[in-house]
Amino acid sequence: MSAPIITVLSGGTQTTLQDAGRHGYRHQGIPGGGAADKLAFALGNFLVGNPWNTPALECALGGLHIRFERETVVAVTGAQMWAQVNGQNIPPHKAITVEAGDILTLSYTRAGCRAYIAVAGGLDGDEFLGSRATYTPAQLGGIEGRALKTGDVVKSLSVEHGAINNLPAPFVPMLSNHIVLRARSGPEWELLDMDSRRYLFTTPFYATSATDRMGSRLKGDKITLTEPLYMTSSPLLPGSLQVPPDGQPILALADGHCTGGYARALQIIQADLWLLGQIAPGASVSFRRCFDGEAPKILKHRNSFYSSLIPGFSF
Amino acid sequence: MTQLSPRISAYGDHAILVQYETDGFSHHVSDALHTLAASLRKTNIWREIVLAYNSLVVVFDSGSLTLESAKRRVEDQIMRHGNKAGKQTDRIIDIPVYYGGEDGPDMATISQSSGLSESEVIKLHSAEPYRVCMMGFIPGFTFLSEAPKKLHHPRQATPRAKVPAGSVGIANWQTGIYGLESPGGWQIIGRTPLSIFDKDREEPFLLEAGDKVRFVPQ
Repeated sequence: MSAPIITVLSGGTQTTLQDAGRHGYRHQGIPGGGAADKLAFALGNFLVGNPWNTPALECALGGLHIRFERETVVAVTGAQMWAQVNGQNIPPHKAITVEAGDILTLSYTRAGCRAYIAVAGGLDGDEFLGSRATYTPAQLGGIEGRALKTGDVVKSLSVEHGAINNLPAPFVPMLSNHIVLRARSGPEWELLDMDSRRYLFTTPFYATSATDRMGSRLKGDKITLTEPLYMTSSPLLPGSLQVPPDGQPILALADGHCTGGYARALQIIQADLWLLGQIAPGASVSFRRCFDGEAPKILKHRNSFYSSLIPGFSF
Repeated sequence: MTQLSPRISAYGDHAILVQYETDGFSHHVSDALHTLAASLRKTNIWREIVLAYNSLVVVFDSGSLTLESAKRRVEDQIMRHGNKAGKQTDRIIDIPVYYGGEDGPDMATISQSSGLSESEVIKLHSAEPYRVCMMGFIPGFTFLSEAPKKLHHPRQATPRAKVPAGSVGIANWQTGIYGLESPGGWQIIGRTPLSIFDKDREEPFLLEAGDKVRFVPQ
């Protein structure tokens, strides 16, 4: 039970322990959080034979170096980082066996933002409101509620797991640094001027360096409202695109604030929320309008495709 | 008189927004929203029910519920309660506050702008209980109902880098409590030693939206 399994040699840009999140507490100011790319996270667990929602490591941008303290099975999914064990390349999206003393390194990402390292049996961390997901702004979950740093020891969770699985090629998500997100109107869409409504769906934006688990500040054509808005603080969701007075939109991500005071222009559809976790600083982000009745069909198709592979998983 | 008929609309493909058009703070709207939230919480089909001053958002799984039927369920609840506040069973929680001094660095600002002495500001701010209208943007941040008119004051031009946990402040017509240390621009007039949010406490949340709080000067 709960034996040390990983020692952190270098935590990289930001590596946190994540699971499927703590949902149902936004009214207390606590975002659902959890793996920013729920799909890559679930695929990692699938490969090593875990239930899809077993806690795993989420490494943003790269730079993670870890040493395994005993023999286990691991898989790396998500962002395309050059992964090596003891300096030898390992294939992504494949379960591999590592021995005690083996060192796994992830280089800087080439496409996407976050890679997941799933370990057979899962990884342990602090539990809060039924979840081990790390939420750094309030130091909740994970390892002392913060990103991993040199010298940290992560313990095994020892959840029941099955045999390793192979991932057929059609199930591997395609990632690039041009992210396309499908969206429906947000509550304040009507307050945007006509040019801005067109820009939002026809010009790309760029994710600035102000991109983390809470949100991504985008840069692009200026989005303006027909008149200044003085809004009372209102609920905000992951995947909401807010437009502050400077006209440069902000996309709320998994750890985004539960309330906000800027116009909510767009809302990313449920089926595409996983992709928010793969927006790296510098990536281009464009929006595609979803028409009436289209979003539920996309979701239904995506859900039935992936749940045929991963029991209990849905977007 | 506030119009008590909310607009119910889609918020993307997996949430519904209930929005009242109000000018400033309205007790009627706040009461109606709390009643609605309480009745929505009786079922477990909603992933999140998030209350704010004049709006409420429910999040659902659009893979198991259609937008139309989610909207209908919310409308049914509003119909059932006739858009008005039901019987409120308020918890009233006393919040001890050390006003002024190091705990309330902006007390002089509020005293000056209101034309009241510090002790009058304290008396006025703690005279009536407030309703907890909304929690968040960070855990434990408590947004309360309208402060007495004389105490209204804009936010600071430049937010402070660090506002200590428990700080009690004023921003325009709002008053509220910082649950955790965070950056912030509210005018701080006091501080409570109580932890609004404590992850290590058996019940981590001291307050929830709908409660009433009474400030007790120490």
